[in-house]
Amino acid sequence: MKTANPYLQDLTKGIVKENPVFVVMLGMCPVLGVTAYIVNGFGMGLAATAVLIASNLVVSLLRNYIPPQVRIPCFIVIIATFVTIIEMVLKAFQPVLYEALGVFVPLIVVNCVILGRAEAFASKKPVLRSLLDGVGVGIGFTLALVILATVREIIGHGTILGPDPESAIYLFGANFEPMALFAQPSGAFIALGLLLAVVNVIFKRFNIK
Amino acid sequence: MRNVLRLSITLTLVAIISASLLTYVHGVTAPIIAERQEREYRQALELFFPEFENFETERLDDDYFDLIYDRSGNLIGIMGTIQQQGYDGYITYNLAVNGNGEILGLLIISHSETPGIGDVITNDSFKKQFIGKSFADPIAAGVDVDVISGATVSTSAIINSVRRVVGVIAENFFGQEADVIDITAVPDGTYQGSAPGLAGPITVAVEVAGGMIVSIEVLEHSETPTYFIEAYPLIPEMIIAEQHFDIDTKTGATESARGIVDAVRAALSAALEDKGGGE
Repeated sequence: MKTANPYLQDLTKGIVKENPVFVVMLGMCPVLGVTAYIVNGFGMGLAATAVLIASNLVVSLLRNYIPPQVRIPCFIVIIATFVTIIEMVLKAFQPVLYEALGVFVPLIVVNCVILGRAEAFASKKPVLRSLLDGVGVGIGFTLALVILATVREIIGHGTILGPDPESAIYLFGANFEPMALFAQPSGAFIALGLLLAVVNVIFKRFNIK
Repeated sequence: MRNVLRLSITLTLVAIISASLLTYVHGVTAPIIAERQEREYRQALELFFPEFENFETERLDDDYFDLIYDRSGNLIGIMGTIQQQGYDGYITYNLAVNGNGEILGLLIISHSETPGIGDVITNDSFKKQFIGKSFADPIAAGVDVDVISGATVSTSAIINSVRRVVGVIAENFFGQEADVIDITAVPDGTYQGSAPGLAGPITVAVEVAGGMIVSIEVLEHSETPTYFIEAYPLIPEMIIAEQHFDIDTKTGATESARGIVDAVRAALSAALEDKGGGE
């Protein structure tokens, strides 16, 4: 990167160079669990991003007031608060998505991407940079989920934008028998492994480190 | 000392702020959630009971039953909300039954069965086979309804559950007596029967001598051992002591206990049928 602007770097590094899923490989549990449909992967990404930005902001704001001995419990409480808020909001306004994401919404609390950014970045850096970091990592996380979900939905269900029949596009016609393995978590591992290989090849080709 | 104080005050403050924030958001969202759930449920009710006006809820064990009334206050049917252990976690579904105890339809609300395999329980072709059945029908796999091969556990969980619920509804709301088995009419011998427990079928061997159940042995089960010891041998001992099936299955392992009772009942009713057929 030519630019030395730290703010721009904070924003962009989470998207490609330190992508939480493809490079750092944190928070794999929801990555594998909810990416059977693009809509679910996108929703999960947005929910995690919202929590990430909010927790980065608050942790950064409080970084000089929280004694280091109790910082982890404080971070957890802050993250859990935002997760619970997101959960209630989803349940009230996006019930279909809430049902689809299931247990993975409350599990955002222990998503190591979020705790990792709070501990490694937000607790040491000023507010604006932490905010940008949260936005960047959130975009990277959402992007990775959507890419993985696209692969899995096309192969595993033969659709795009399912499962809602109103928006679903059947790519191969209605009689297509999809490869159900990819709709299951075990198939997610295979798809993720293949994607990581592709990402590594691309990174090597363009010398991204 | 001051340090400890500072640590605890920080934690307390964080927790208090968090709690008050959550209380506020809960206060805002809870009525919306409740209203939406009720609207969805009313839509489901209207699907089966177009003329419904209001309902009242009754709870029996772990099942909820809504008695549906029309404008003039007649009971037009019952909607059960049932939770059943499937292949992978619980299946929650609605079972709609009309005023004659006949099934109007089945609505799977939530499940976590394997995609592409166990989720055939949501297919219309599977659910349709229950329509019109009542407590008078056997509702048994291979008799009048079919399991779907490859998804035997998921589909037979629903079949067995529907049979149980239709029986419960008939017994509690339409005054139908449950199958009364006259033990004294069972010829001496040992009979086998099986019924679903919590984790799979329970098979028992029942020995009858002189019109009395003398021993009950569980041959096969896949219940969790630590729970199963709550039901076995206690439940067989109770059946042998009382010589009827109307015993309290509320143990630490209610589902397993009910499974044993049902298996014994199945063994004896099969024995009676065989005898009836032979004469």
